[in-house]
Amino acid sequence: MNRSNAILTLIVLALPLALIGALASGPVTIDLGSALASGWRGEGSDAVILWQLRMPRALLAMVVGAALGMGGAAMQGMLRNPLAEPALLGVSSGAALAAILLLYYGLAWQAGWLLPLLAIGGAFAAVACVWLLAGRGASASRLVLAGVAINAFLSALMALALNYAPSMFAMQEIVFWLLGSLANRGWDQLLLAFPFVAVGALLLFSGRNYLRALSLGEASAVSLGYGGRRYPLAILLGIAAAVGAAVAVAGTIGFIGLVVPHLVRPLVRQDPGRLLWASALAGALLLLLADILVLNFIGAQELRIGAVTAFIGAPFFFWLIVSARRAGTL
Amino acid sequence: MRNSTLVVSCHGLAVERRRERVIEGFSCRLQPGELTAVVGPNGAGKSSLLQALAGVLSPAAGRIDFGELDSAAIPVARRAQLCAYLPQAEVPAWSLAVRDFVALGLLPWGKRVDRQRRVAAALRQVDARGFSERPVTQLSGGELRRVQLARLLVGEAPFLVADEPTAALDIRHQLQLMQNFRRQADSGRTVVLALHDLALAARYCDRILLLERGRLRAEGVPADVLKPELIGEVYGISCELRWRDGVADFVPLDLL
Repeated sequence: MNRSNAILTLIVLALPLALIGALASGPVTIDLGSALASGWRGEGSDAVILWQLRMPRALLAMVVGAALGMGGAAMQGMLRNPLAEPALLGVSSGAALAAILLLYYGLAWQAGWLLPLLAIGGAFAAVACVWLLAGRGASASRLVLAGVAINAFLSALMALALNYAPSMFAMQEIVFWLLGSLANRGWDQLLLAFPFVAVGALLLFSGRNYLRALSLGEASAVSLGYGGRRYPLAILLGIAAAVGAAVAVAGTIGFIGLVVPHLVRPLVRQDPGRLLWASALAGALLLLLADILVLNFIGAQELRIGAVTAFIGAPFFFWLIVSARRAGTL
Repeated sequence: MRNSTLVVSCHGLAVERRRERVIEGFSCRLQPGELTAVVGPNGAGKSSLLQALAGVLSPAAGRIDFGELDSAAIPVARRAQLCAYLPQAEVPAWSLAVRDFVALGLLPWGKRVDRQRRVAAALRQVDARGFSERPVTQLSGGELRRVQLARLLVGEAPFLVADEPTAALDIRHQLQLMQNFRRQADSGRTVVLALHDLALAARYCDRILLLERGRLRAEGVPADVLKPELIGEVYGISCELRWRDGVADFVPLDLL
């Protein structure tokens, strides 16, 4: 086995270990073994903490991380640009704006599923706007441009919403939501997000050969049989479903979609197709590890996971630039 | 697995780019075993014609037949198996290893082919086996062209289309590339190249199509098309063209 495959195997093996780590992390110490053994319907506070609080949160971290990693890989592949991330298409902003409006009017807590569902709707609406604005036969670059424009408009709307926030409380809630968090997420959110992420993953994987062909450029991709609107549409809908659902339940968690594909690209011989599942795995692991950090952080305020990923992501970029400078590849 | 030969014929072809006609009333017949050069001034429609042949642009009118079939009626995956296309500037997006890059030419074939054998054979044809593991982003211009040619050849398509493949290459690489295309034609493929170098076109090609503002101005064997008066008129220059043993000596003199 060569080094790349060994690292990929390590990532796969590290996932269950990190899961156990996440289950063991939290403000109270629980007897993990007996709580696990007591099963799903187990009595006692340890079992309840494990099965109702920690397990869904840890699984959600993996699902959200996988969605963001995969979405980033698809986005970079489609735009042939290593600096692309899913937020570029306005997916995150669309979801965020819908969520903000709900928080704004204090409707968020009417039902646990209302906010995520509307946020997913927001993500799809944003992508629909991008698609319509880009128009017929849009090239990848026109799609990005449309995405940037829609994104800018949604950001303006968000700024407006914050500006006229009805109360300090609503504003604080919105800001915290924008930072991204996995706190207090349960089975409801997991069950809501998972089908969307799964469908998104299927759509993205169905476009893996399109992403491969695109590494030669758009004209070559068409000549290889990957023309038409079918493929970009599948990728766009896949990103909207997966990333939209992730943002809907966990807020905007940055940098995973940008950094993870970078990290694993050398492990899959730069293949934009295999990069999809490798980024999903690495994204799941990275977000789970970040959440372990959050869970073990002791402070008066909850440490938001979006802040943690940004703190991992930004220095990583410093390192990326420095190493590229040294190797003379940038 | 090898596709048989393919006659490609255009009938009253028109191509549009940004709602403007760039090719109009174009008819021709491209034969297996023939190396055809498409020449003409910048903006004459060479690239658009090639993109239409490769299925990148759809005809606005007329049709392109692959054998007996209208190529528009052939499923895209099958069409991609029949016709391989190398655009003018193909910049690889990722630093794929050379052999992975070449394997992309097998995408229309799915999993039905022996990838390793095909890629090795294609790399051998362009004399690039020595650097099959190098990242494509670190190749010299000449090496990259050879690797792109391997990508073009790997699917063993009977119809090859390349847009100015010799551009930006040194003289040795130009000759090497043209000889390779000559061999492809000799082995029964239908090959069409857009070329700016008229001497190369005269030396290696069986036929020349001269385009002027989207229309076919002249076609035929090099000696019939490459006449100083005609070339001078189409390009707006004065030039000298002498033939010595089938090799054209082309000297552009001045602007008209």
